[in-house]
Amino acid sequence: MNGSAVLVVDDEVGMRDTMVAILEQHGYRVWSAPDGETAFSAVQDTAFDVVVMDIRLPGRDGVSVLQEMGVPPPRVILMTAYAHEERLRAAVEANAFAVLHKPFETRRMLGLVADASQAGK
Amino acid sequence: MAGAAHHEPAADKRARRRPLRFISAVILVVLAGVVAASSLITRNVIRDQEQLLLSERTAVLGTSFTGIQSSLLLLGAIARSDQGNAQLFADAARSVATSSTQAWLVTTQSETGLRVTAAAGNGPAVGQVISGAQEQLAHRALSARGPVSGFLRNGPNLALALALGQAAGPGTVVWQESAVSPATPVRSTPTSPWRNLDIALYLSDRPDPSALVVTTTKDLPLAGLRYPFRVGADTWLIVSGSPHPLVGPLAQDMPWIILAIGALTAVLTTAVVETLGRRRDYASALVEERTSSLRSAIADLETAQAQLVRQEKLAAVGQMASAVGHELRNPLGVVMNVLYLMESGTGDDANAPMRRHLATAKREISAATLIVSDLLDFATSRRPILAPVQVSELVAEALSVVPPPDGVQAVQCGETQVVIDADRDQIRQALLNLITNGYDSMPGGGTLTVSATSVPGSVHITVTDTGIGMNEETRDSIFTPFFTKKTRGIGLGLVVTKRVVDAHGGAITVDSTPSAGTSFTLTLPVAAAMMSAPQ
Repeated sequence: MNGSAVLVVDDEVGMRDTMVAILEQHGYRVWSAPDGETAFSAVQDTAFDVVVMDIRLPGRDGVSVLQEMGVPPPRVILMTAYAHEERLRAAVEANAFAVLHKPFETRRMLGLVADASQAGK
Repeated sequence: MAGAAHHEPAADKRARRRPLRFISAVILVVLAGVVAASSLITRNVIRDQEQLLLSERTAVLGTSFTGIQSSLLLLGAIARSDQGNAQLFADAARSVATSSTQAWLVTTQSETGLRVTAAAGNGPAVGQVISGAQEQLAHRALSARGPVSGFLRNGPNLALALALGQAAGPGTVVWQESAVSPATPVRSTPTSPWRNLDIALYLSDRPDPSALVVTTTKDLPLAGLRYPFRVGADTWLIVSGSPHPLVGPLAQDMPWIILAIGALTAVLTTAVVETLGRRRDYASALVEERTSSLRSAIADLETAQAQLVRQEKLAAVGQMASAVGHELRNPLGVVMNVLYLMESGTGDDANAPMRRHLATAKREISAATLIVSDLLDFATSRRPILAPVQVSELVAEALSVVPPPDGVQAVQCGETQVVIDADRDQIRQALLNLITNGYDSMPGGGTLTVSATSVPGSVHITVTDTGIGMNEETRDSIFTPFFTKKTRGIGLGLVVTKRVVDAHGGAITVDSTPSAGTSFTLTLPVAAAMMSAPQ
């Protein structure tokens, strides 16, 4: 149990809930947000170690939230079910820690979150 | 033009030398037949005409003897009435003389025989008694109706005698004797009755050389028209021929003229028909060729249209696939997470039935994920984002993503440090498609070999299996969207693979033998940096 703080951002309630459950099962302190605005506010308020965020969100999308995060930024793992080339390029340029293509192996997601939380320490 | 002829294909020359077309040959034969028939008919007509003229001329010759009887009767009447006036008889005789006549006389039956009672010319003198052949002829004349004729030989001289009995009273015979020399042909003169003719006159009804009276030619016996005619009690014969055509040289040559002109006409007509026919053939060949190219153009258009329609359909399918695929990704992800949670909730008992069910569910979700990936890869043709990729590492990574099924051995060989400029994800996906296809083609086990070979300027990545292989028909269709021989799969893997390779400026080739295996080879250009670096 490492106790790292993780923010899960996804508008799909099923995805959000299962992610939270899995990460909590692995000892993370987990917050969740359903959209970009809420996520951005949460990042301002709380120092997360890792943010796992869907790219496509209602309102502002995950990439734009990533681009506006303050310093020091948390490691951001972006998730996407779509393959929008430009957004992916923008995500890489905005220093996303990794991009996870949905549907992903849960173990791979866990491995990336672990790597991201380790990278910040 | 002469220069152009050199460039004509050999086939054209052969075609130009071909024999006459059937219709031309028929026309030539028919015209030649008509010409030959016309010529023959004309020849026959002219020959008939020639014969007719010859017989007319000959008949005229024959009638010239009819005056003899009246001449002899006239002389007889003069002899009877002159009462011994020899001069009167001689004058009368001269008035009926012809150039060949040498003597005229009258003989009268007496006790001592036939005695000459009147004479003119070089014949026997008055008072002389005739004997021998002359006497025999006189007896014949006395008993015959009309004049009789015969030869009289007097030493080397031969004379033709015409004698008319009772012409100067009972028991008298009036004679006319002409010198003849049958061995010497008589020259025909322009005024002679036999001018332009070959004539042989016989004192017989057949061409007996001993009975020849006169001839105009040495070439005896004469082949020609035979004209027998009566002179008093005897039958004479004229055999006549014409050394030069009586109908005239033009008429004589008419059959040949007709033949020549007709043949020329036939040849010209045939040539015209042949030329027209060939021109028509050429025109129809041209029309056929144009029609054929038009058809081919239409076919090309139809193919292009069909391709366009197909592409539009594929684009529509792609849009739908993209939409459906993306929308399926989220729920699939959620289900994967749920399965993970359920799995972790079943504890450590690996044999628990629930664990097996969960494993089945995960496997199926993976299969669904793969289908969705294929659909999306197909629907979204993303341009490759190039970065240096080490080939052997990429191959190892692709092999590690999908472990080989039971009984199949995966081998990586041809270790190479070559680096390519590639979109790592796309090439890995392309390799994965080939590797999973290889695994699927070996249900009874086998070996899958992935080898990388460096060649100047590019690298060959070959994925070889020892599976069921493909026949030619299948091989021709593998890059067609939605074509698949698998029981599972939607037939987009190889389509996507080819598209990725094409987008990288590479090529994909396939070599397959049914029941022996298949080998796919990707040829990808090496990185520009590698190209310039010393090897």
